[in-house]
Amino acid sequence: MTRVIRSSAVTLATGYVLLAFTALVLFAAPLLYAWQETIKDFRFEILQEDSQRLVHVFDLRGAAGLKAFIDERVGMQIAGERMLLLSDAAGRPLAGNLPAWPQSIPAHAGSYTLPVTLDGRHTMVAMVLATLPGGCRLLVGRDVDRFAPIERRFWYGLAGAVAVLTVAGLIGALLIRRALLARVQSTQQTVAAIMRGDLSHRLKVRSSGDELDTLAQTINRLLEQIEQLVHGIANVSNSIAHDLRTPLAELRSRLEELSLTRPPLQETFAEIDAAVADVDGVIRIFNALLRLAEIDAGLRRSNFVETDLAELVAKAVEFYLPAAELKGLSLCLRDHGPTGARCDAVLLAQAINNLIDNALKFVAPGGHIELEVARLAQGLVAVTVADDGPGIPEADRPRAAQRFFRGDASRGTPGVGLGLSLVEAIARLHGGSLELADNHPGLIARMIIERGAAAAAAPEQQRSGSVVEPVT
Amino acid sequence: MKILVVEDNERMARFVTKGLKEAGHTTDHAENGRDGLFLAVSERYDVIIMDRMLPGNIDGLTIIDALRKADNPTPILILSALGDVDERIKGLRAGGDDYLTKPFAFGELLARIDGLSRRRRQDAAQTALEVGDLRIDLLGRKVWRGARAIQLQPREFKLLEYLVRHAGQVVTRTMLLENVWDYHFDPETNVVDVHISKLRQKIDADEERQLLRTVRNAGYMISAEPPPVAGAG
Repeated sequence: MTRVIRSSAVTLATGYVLLAFTALVLFAAPLLYAWQETIKDFRFEILQEDSQRLVHVFDLRGAAGLKAFIDERVGMQIAGERMLLLSDAAGRPLAGNLPAWPQSIPAHAGSYTLPVTLDGRHTMVAMVLATLPGGCRLLVGRDVDRFAPIERRFWYGLAGAVAVLTVAGLIGALLIRRALLARVQSTQQTVAAIMRGDLSHRLKVRSSGDELDTLAQTINRLLEQIEQLVHGIANVSNSIAHDLRTPLAELRSRLEELSLTRPPLQETFAEIDAAVADVDGVIRIFNALLRLAEIDAGLRRSNFVETDLAELVAKAVEFYLPAAELKGLSLCLRDHGPTGARCDAVLLAQAINNLIDNALKFVAPGGHIELEVARLAQGLVAVTVADDGPGIPEADRPRAAQRFFRGDASRGTPGVGLGLSLVEAIARLHGGSLELADNHPGLIARMIIERGAAAAAAPEQQRSGSVVEPVT
Repeated sequence: MKILVVEDNERMARFVTKGLKEAGHTTDHAENGRDGLFLAVSERYDVIIMDRMLPGNIDGLTIIDALRKADNPTPILILSALGDVDERIKGLRAGGDDYLTKPFAFGELLARIDGLSRRRRQDAAQTALEVGDLRIDLLGRKVWRGARAIQLQPREFKLLEYLVRHAGQVVTRTMLLENVWDYHFDPETNVVDVHISKLRQKIDADEERQLLRTVRNAGYMISAEPPPVAGAG
């Protein structure tokens, strides 16, 4: 990992330095070229003018006149870096500050830039050659190398800029690498600690809010979910271990006794039937626990569909009505018309049935159970099951939805104590909760869920209650 | 009936084939996907019982998929330890006709197999059903016992219709929950029993011959035949 970071930071820096260098060259090269061309043109123009003026002097005053003129100029040191030479047709110097025609100079007129050796010094000279009437030749030149220092300074500047760029880039790369490495290493240490089994660690989040912080926050949320899931699994495992042990122990002792005592056939068959029923009980607990774990893991959100809750409740009421009548209970529904919600219809049906099932179990004959589906504010909807049974003592209510909790009132009734926890888990999956309240006397179980996408759609007209007016 | 059992667990396979033979069916057994697929395409079966997770590369759903693509209409009951609603839906989508989760009661399996073989023979365009002197008018949604008209609520009608469509065979509580109420979970109270006894009140009260009876440890059956005297289960 370290190597990856190092190379990535250095590669990045190198890339930027190269890019800057290229930009610099692209900027400097045309400038240099234009500058050189301009100087050259300008130089030849001056030489040309000079040469023409001298030719003009020759025309007016002849060779002697020109010689005197040149001598005068050389004497006045006007020439300076200027080179002047007038020679006769044979090439012998007549006047000027050059001792002789330098070798390697072409014979005919024109403009040239040529290397010339003067006083044993090699130098570049720009020159204009002219042939005068009568065979005399005139050279007007200028030492180009005098500009070399300026050009050299330009190159020095460029090299300096490149050096600064490179150093700055490398230092930047090192700094980035150090900063990255520090944070990556801290992340690595945290993750290593988590992998060793301590899920409580979290990545450090600085207040800067940069990309790495956002990433750290996302990873922290991920860790939180993993921790919850792991705890959920641990809880379920504990519950299974705890609550399957009892029925399994019963089953085992039943079978062992059967094997030891070898009772008559008829009795044996009865015992086997009882053992099968025991196993069925274990399976039922097992299924409920699996279903709970599945819901807790939030895996079922993909099954959400548009559903009419009122219809689900009405169907459940109709399903339980004969059983309620048989027990001498009244079971009724306050109908407020269709109430759509985006939900898992199978799970919600199970939750509603669990709530009615619970009420049926605990309410004494002559009692009443009343259901209601009511739309709440903020896109929520509540399914309420109110009864006038024994209720749940206030002290027990917070624990009532815990797994395997069985209150005093439930003693002697069938069930494993998973009903309300299942309802609670289903409500939570739907972004809601299960509330238990006192009905003076009795219990109000209110399952609240989010309506989801259905709430966003235009709200349907709620019919007024066909049994009683809505309370909420 | 001739039934193919594709199941890799030897003990489970023995339990199922033995029970089916005792119920009067003939069985073939394949213990992996390759043999299962081979038997399923080369022989004619009335029902196939298919495990989902099989050794080798071919699993149960792959076989079902292959059979359905070859237009093989044999009813298939998927028997699997994968019990989630999602898995169930996956199995039925692949072309399975029914889905039973392990562990299961043998009576449940038997009842469902009977139901599957019956389903194929059934005429969808039927407008009336009859068991003994009980008549159901499916279009008018009316029921008579002899000359006596019986008033039924919609759900009771659906319950009776399901029972009569499976007349002469055991129907379990789970089958009723799934097919009449579309509930795929077990209520803790014996609500189905109460519905049945209410229905029985309406159709069998004051009648000499009882049509709707309870089959111990299994479920219910509607039948014009009198119950066998011994070994009714």
